[in-house]
Amino acid sequence: MTAPARPIVEARGVSRVFPMPAGPVVALRDVTMEVGEGEYVAIAGPSGCGKSTLLHVLGCVDTATSGEVRLEGRDVGSLSDSERSRIRLAKIGFVFQRFFLLPMLSAIENVELPQAEAGVPRAVRLNRARMLLDYVGLGHRADHRPSQLSGGEMQRVAIARAMANRPRLILADEPTGELDEATGEAIAGLFDLLHKDGTAVVVVTHDPSIAARAQRVLRMRDGMLLPPPQNAPQMAQVTQTGNKGRADGGRT
Amino acid sequence: MTHVRRSIAGSTRGVLLLVGLTVGLGHAWLPAAASDAQADLPAVLLSRQLAAARNLSAGDVVELSGDPSGANPRRFRVAGTYEPMPDPIRVTSERLEVRLHLPDLLDLGADPDDPLAADSLSAINITLENPDDAGVFARDLAARVPTVGVRASRGGEGDRNPFVVLGRFHLAIAILTLTTSAVFLLALMVLLADERREAVGTLRLLGLTRGRVLLQVLLEGALIAGAGALFGVAFAALTEGAFNRYFQWRYDTALVFVRITPSIAWRAVAMALPLGMAASVLASWALVRSETLALVRR
Repeated sequence: MTAPARPIVEARGVSRVFPMPAGPVVALRDVTMEVGEGEYVAIAGPSGCGKSTLLHVLGCVDTATSGEVRLEGRDVGSLSDSERSRIRLAKIGFVFQRFFLLPMLSAIENVELPQAEAGVPRAVRLNRARMLLDYVGLGHRADHRPSQLSGGEMQRVAIARAMANRPRLILADEPTGELDEATGEAIAGLFDLLHKDGTAVVVVTHDPSIAARAQRVLRMRDGMLLPPPQNAPQMAQVTQTGNKGRADGGRT
Repeated sequence: MTHVRRSIAGSTRGVLLLVGLTVGLGHAWLPAAASDAQADLPAVLLSRQLAAARNLSAGDVVELSGDPSGANPRRFRVAGTYEPMPDPIRVTSERLEVRLHLPDLLDLGADPDDPLAADSLSAINITLENPDDAGVFARDLAARVPTVGVRASRGGEGDRNPFVVLGRFHLAIAILTLTTSAVFLLALMVLLADERREAVGTLRLLGLTRGRVLLQVLLEGALIAGAGALFGVAFAALTEGAFNRYFQWRYDTALVFVRITPSIAWRAVAMALPLGMAASVLASWALVRSETLALVRR
């Protein structure tokens, strides 16, 4: 059974201007877009076109200079820094090009961390962290520190960490940017898996092979979204997947 | 050069009254041969240092003179030795002292040409059976004998007690040391904070609030400062014996130079904790206030 996907995150007329000593830099210009629940969207474009800035604004890491950003229907633009932090913790999973794992923690501790911050009991979060590491194929490296892992393995841990608090939205900023092609493919496969399991995924990439895996590709240039080509698919009619086999163990 | 300084100690009970005479030793000290008459000689006590310096022991007979030239000496029997009261003010002076019964001292100091001088004393130290009564006793005596200046040298003497003065001196040194240590800790924390820029950025990206990061910084500072203070207290407690033995040997005194009391330990921790926490917060303030993205940008 298929149903129109409700937007999990949407931007309406969003602009982001960075004040600089040499004059303001406009990173986003009147961007309007939305991502449906369970949708897989890629944002592509040349370096400096505003892809990452858009991702940061959608993910409550940054705030728009003007326009409106809604997450699950809630306007997040007017929220305080603490409130946006709480939203990031509870509702959004981030994956970054540089992994950003905490070097003093083991893989499983890195995955536990967001859950611990969310107040999940230790036994529960430990169980989920092990399950997530198994999910990304790293169950056998749970006690290894980031320095003992390869780039691909670190990114797998980062993906497991992003899933820790059962977010409905994963935002990935050039997740394969520091990986070789084969490892990048494997990581992209994990995003496919997340999407298949019902999580909305937004991937910023300039790698056409990664973008090609998405249901929809948004192209940007000079801070603006380019209109989709005539033959491009419209807003996806996302198949609502069941819970069986999902990394989050079922949210409903 | 016989008589240098005179001090008198005694109790409120006349029976136990002893008089101390601090002497510079010269020809006035003449150990005499033992005889049957020794038992009839008046008894004196020698300080441990004096007995050791002159190789004297209980039973020996000595001659004392109140005159610097050693004239008109009197014979005394050494009844024993005693450990002089440790005094931080006199730590560098040799404690070559002798204690006499008050009548003996008066006789010794009497001038045949001036009988009234025998009653003249410039100062007298009185030891009470209960030292805590010193303040009350001093007030009582001052009221009864208005012409005598009386002050308690122990208990209720307040600011004039050398130990109190020294204690404050040490406290000042401790505050200075701790403050300097806090500045040093601050410098270390600034370096540490800069190294942890990305880690803090990661925590913020994951959803930790600024307050949560600040709390962590505070706890970390408290932990480091607390651990440092406890280490310092433990180190001092473990080494105080060695310090005391060295300086007691160095100055030939029973004075206790270092003593780590619970009060000192608590004070050290109580001072170190807020200083360490303040240093940590100060060092990390810019980090905590920074925008999340600014922390993780290369």
